[in-house]
Amino acid sequence: MSERPRVFIVDDHELIRSGIRAELGDAVEIVGEADEVDAAIAMILERAPDVVLLDVHMPLGGGQVVIEAVAKRDPTIRFLALSVSDAAEDVIAIVRAGARGYVTKTISGAALVDAVRRVASGDAVFSPRLAGFVLDAFRPALDVEAPDDVDQLSTRELQVLRLIARGFSYREVADELGIAVKTVESHVSAVLRKLQLANRHQLSHWAHSRRLLG
Amino acid sequence: MASASVACQNWAIATTSEPAVGASPTESVDRPVLGASQRPFRRSVETAIVGGVVGGLSVRLGIRPRWLRAVALVSILLGGTGLIVYVAAWVFVPRRGESISIAQRVVNDRRESQIVLASSTILAAVLVTLLVVGHQGVSSAGWPVLVTAVGLLVVWRGSSPAERIDLQAHLARLPFSDTGSRPWRSVLSRLVGGVALLGVGVAALSPRGLQSTNGALLGVGAMVGGFLLIFAPWWVRTLRELTNERRERLRAQTRADFAARVHDSVLQTLALIQKSAEDPAAVIRLARQQERDLRTWLFDEPRVAGATTFSSLVDQLARDVEEHYDITVDVVVVGDIAADDDVDALVAAGREAAVNAAKWSGAASVSVYGEVETDRVSLFVRDAGRGFVLDAVAADRRGIAHSIEERIRSHGGTAVIRSAPGSGTDVELVLGRRTTP
Repeated sequence: MSERPRVFIVDDHELIRSGIRAELGDAVEIVGEADEVDAAIAMILERAPDVVLLDVHMPLGGGQVVIEAVAKRDPTIRFLALSVSDAAEDVIAIVRAGARGYVTKTISGAALVDAVRRVASGDAVFSPRLAGFVLDAFRPALDVEAPDDVDQLSTRELQVLRLIARGFSYREVADELGIAVKTVESHVSAVLRKLQLANRHQLSHWAHSRRLLG
Repeated sequence: MASASVACQNWAIATTSEPAVGASPTESVDRPVLGASQRPFRRSVETAIVGGVVGGLSVRLGIRPRWLRAVALVSILLGGTGLIVYVAAWVFVPRRGESISIAQRVVNDRRESQIVLASSTILAAVLVTLLVVGHQGVSSAGWPVLVTAVGLLVVWRGSSPAERIDLQAHLARLPFSDTGSRPWRSVLSRLVGGVALLGVGVAALSPRGLQSTNGALLGVGAMVGGFLLIFAPWWVRTLRELTNERRERLRAQTRADFAARVHDSVLQTLALIQKSAEDPAAVIRLARQQERDLRTWLFDEPRVAGATTFSSLVDQLARDVEEHYDITVDVVVVGDIAADDDVDALVAAGREAAVNAAKWSGAASVSVYGEVETDRVSLFVRDAGRGFVLDAVAADRRGIAHSIEERIRSHGGTAVIRSAPGSGTDVELVLGRRTTP
């Protein structure tokens, strides 16, 4: 990978796209942008960027469609989901579709560049909010006495997620737990993998209970 | 919610995979070419009279549809087999331009298949009851009627939107329907037909007719049929008007709610933002507040529903602190419980910690994380600000020690405050839960 990650932006609002361009500045090379699903899929496949910045809330669940269509043909292209603020279900759905992380649009320019670099190098990027959503998603399973289930999060992974949800950076998490930053990253990647593989029933149970619980 | 998404899916199928009915270049034309058989067998669209089965067959075999129609009509009128074959073809053969059959569509949709299964069971139960009662006429005509009824049920639930529109157009052209262009004619034919049926019914139920069970059944059937024929359209129309009216009222209500929300909160905030354009801190605060409000409204509404819960209290905490201090509060809450004294105390202590961070840390933001577990509730307040030496502060700034630690301790919980100059402050508040949900 080159020093400057090649980035593609998918968002249906011009204002947001120009905002993202300004935030990223010269730190990345922007190879293109699109405001609707079909054009996005074609251009992403053609230009093969390192990272696609993708709005969660495209019309008609468009974000997921883009990820699935691209991943089928070029699995090396990575996705970072970006949004103003969304329902937990939508965010979890887009991460399950294959996004390597989720950040909110209020993120600072430097933090966004950092997130893009991380995703470009294959790591997962968890904002505090995403960590909260994921903890919430695995929660029904935590409450019951879980048998040896590969889908469950390990104690260490839970610790890492909790610290991220509390606002710790990866480095601070590493210091707090006395482990290497690389180890934190691999824990987070493992959580991402489990989320993507987690059985649909489990998560739909979660989505359902979210609507019912007061 | 679920049904809405199902409807959307059906619609998506209709608009994406079946956009141009009969226009697919890979398929043969929808007209028979005499003497030339064409594949595949598809129910016809253009020449369809009912389900397009015969029209499709004529295309497949290359025969004039007229002859096939005559054969089909005779075999259907002779009862039994012809009818069953026709309905089966209707259900299992895809329509021209569509990739899947009606049966496939129903099977793919769990809700539809449940409806069809349940209704078929009831129909079969009725038939079996009649058989047990020992009625002669039922045993010979019963099964074809049952199969046909189930088949039509499947068609009704599973036909594609395009086919449904065509079928409705066919129905509208029937003499009994009152959606046609000449309403008086449909009313007249309905009245004549209905009265005739009632007459048959009265005759069959007369003392002479009642001597056989056949007569009684025929009489009841004719009476019911006659009443249906006369009154059903009126009844259906009333029902439809009621539904429309309710839907319209609901839509107006939603629009009013939405307008009120936009006016009261969004427009007001925008006005305030314009007024305080030269004060960036105020603009940020207003925008954040509005974002939080809208977010709660859009996504969290079903969760809160008026009740005070841990998460709503934490949200309130964030809102208050942002309102009074120049700081951003990032909130993440996992799980939720109804508020009680303990939860109130926990959030009050957390508020103290957040206010402290806002006043002294100098950080631009403070992170608040709440989690509800089976045995405890925790609240973490963290800033990456300048920090302080705990022992040095404890003496003169009793606020932290007293408000936070004492508050938590008196409710049987623990408070841990960690800080060092230059590395921010971390407050961990944990309370055991007395009751499990």
